[in-house]
Amino acid sequence: MTTAAIISTAVFLISLGLIFSEKLHRTIIGFAGAVLMVGVGRWLGFYSESQAIAAIDFETIGLLAGMMILVSLLEPTGFFQFLAVWAGRLSKGRPVYLLVMLGSVTTIISMFLDNVTTVVMIAPVTILICEVLGINPMPYLIAEALLSDTGGAATLIGDPPNILIGSAAGLTFMDFILKSLPIVLVSWLTALLLLRILFRRELSTRPKNIKAILKLNPQEALDDGVTARRVLIVLGVAILFFFFSHYLAVSPAFIAIAAAAAAMIWVRPNVKDTLMRIEWSVLIFFAGLFVIVGGLNAAGVFDVLVQALAGLHIEQPLLFSILLIWVVAGLSAIVDNVPITIAMIPVIQGLGSTGMNITPLWWALVFGAGFGGNGTIIGSSANIIVACLSEKTRTPITTRLWSKSGLPVMLATCTVASILFAITYSWLSR
Amino acid sequence: MKIETCMKRNVVFIPFDTTIGDAAQMMVKRHIGILPVVDENNKPVGVVSMRDLLTLELPDFIELIEDLDFVHDFGAVETTRPGKKKLSEPVSTIMQPVKAIEEDGGLLRGYALMIQNDLYDLPVINKSGKLVGVVSRVDIGTTLLSNWSTVVQK
Repeated sequence: MTTAAIISTAVFLISLGLIFSEKLHRTIIGFAGAVLMVGVGRWLGFYSESQAIAAIDFETIGLLAGMMILVSLLEPTGFFQFLAVWAGRLSKGRPVYLLVMLGSVTTIISMFLDNVTTVVMIAPVTILICEVLGINPMPYLIAEALLSDTGGAATLIGDPPNILIGSAAGLTFMDFILKSLPIVLVSWLTALLLLRILFRRELSTRPKNIKAILKLNPQEALDDGVTARRVLIVLGVAILFFFFSHYLAVSPAFIAIAAAAAAMIWVRPNVKDTLMRIEWSVLIFFAGLFVIVGGLNAAGVFDVLVQALAGLHIEQPLLFSILLIWVVAGLSAIVDNVPITIAMIPVIQGLGSTGMNITPLWWALVFGAGFGGNGTIIGSSANIIVACLSEKTRTPITTRLWSKSGLPVMLATCTVASILFAITYSWLSR
Repeated sequence: MKIETCMKRNVVFIPFDTTIGDAAQMMVKRHIGILPVVDENNKPVGVVSMRDLLTLELPDFIELIEDLDFVHDFGAVETTRPGKKKLSEPVSTIMQPVKAIEEDGGLLRGYALMIQNDLYDLPVINKSGKLVGVVSRVDIGTTLLSNWSTVVQK
């Protein structure tokens, strides 16, 4: 290995370690790590500013930014609260139904919109519904985070790793619907069933006051129905375009940005407020990671890695893929799944250059990154959010509690995904 | 005009080791909304307001949801009470830091303190820092407004 490779690997590993330690905000680490990588790159002559800019995948950033604008228009309308109240009423206060309804609503929205925003909006209403009913909100909050993370793996725009993988591997929205969705659906149902069993005691307590939930009025929770309808129409059209993006030969990023522009023209929001709600910290984190991993690439780290992997003579690609699911899931449980995905992409691409069929490996990465985050309380942003919100209640979610529910769900969904992966291997390899 | 002209002198206060439950019953018995908490030297060390006590009964969601118009029935929350364990804790666990005014302080200064800190009553202390009274927004406000009649008469 060259000095450049060793030093760039050190920068990457230190950044990853700092993200894991949570001593600093991950965006600061991504940002400073990128600067450091370009700095050493210039010093040792393996990485330039223009290479760093080129390493940023604007396809991913564009898709994220476009969807974030749509969400930031939808956020203040009360649409999310409306859905949560509606779901709560429909359950008629029966705990198991409530779990299924809230879990499903959160999952379906987060298959198309940012699941952090979805959870941020729906979790407070969940606490409200549970308190009005006189039951413990903890199982419902945990279920919302776990189910929405699991469901997010189903679509191209469901969670950030998918956007990254779709962009790098050229997988379309339709590819995800045909190949990922069925496996995710079965895994999701497994997760739901497991949660039902794990929380059987909490879910068997009869709510003290069922009538009160029927007096919650979803229409009143919707503050601005006109704007909500407009944004949803634009979103619906955008999703249609996502379906056919392959035939239309337009990129998902262009569709998302175009939808954001159309929605802003139609809604005429306060531009400053709308743009303030965009999660810039996420976008900068992504850009920083792209620059860091671009540095690894320029230093030839991935070439060394791929040569080592090629020397292994992978004779059992199926077993290798399933191993990849578990390795990525394990890593995603302890570190953010975004840096893991960004770092895995060049490795898989490198394996492709050795002549291996890497199509199934992309799907392994999707499932590993998607389901791994469930394992720990810090595994995904949604988990952190419900844990933080629950700290404001009388029944906070602890790390110990999470390992009793999240970890089994992660193991179960990864097992189911592995089995289905093996069964559908030839289909996934196409 | 000074605070001492309009404050109430027969102030009800509690020592800092009073339990939350006893403080609540004291408020009920005396029909008051604020209890200064004092140390052995009669110096205020904190304040327990009705709000601090009732927060123990209020649901968690009121902190999380801005607009509660759509919640027509608080359901089970209406009948929740703080637990026995909570009620036997000393008031020092829930009391707020004391914001007091000196007895020779000005009325407008007192009123401004209340508005800025979102308070309805202020403990009044003397030069040596001992509790000597309590003054409410209404006490200060009516005293200030009574001066307006002289303006009209002129």
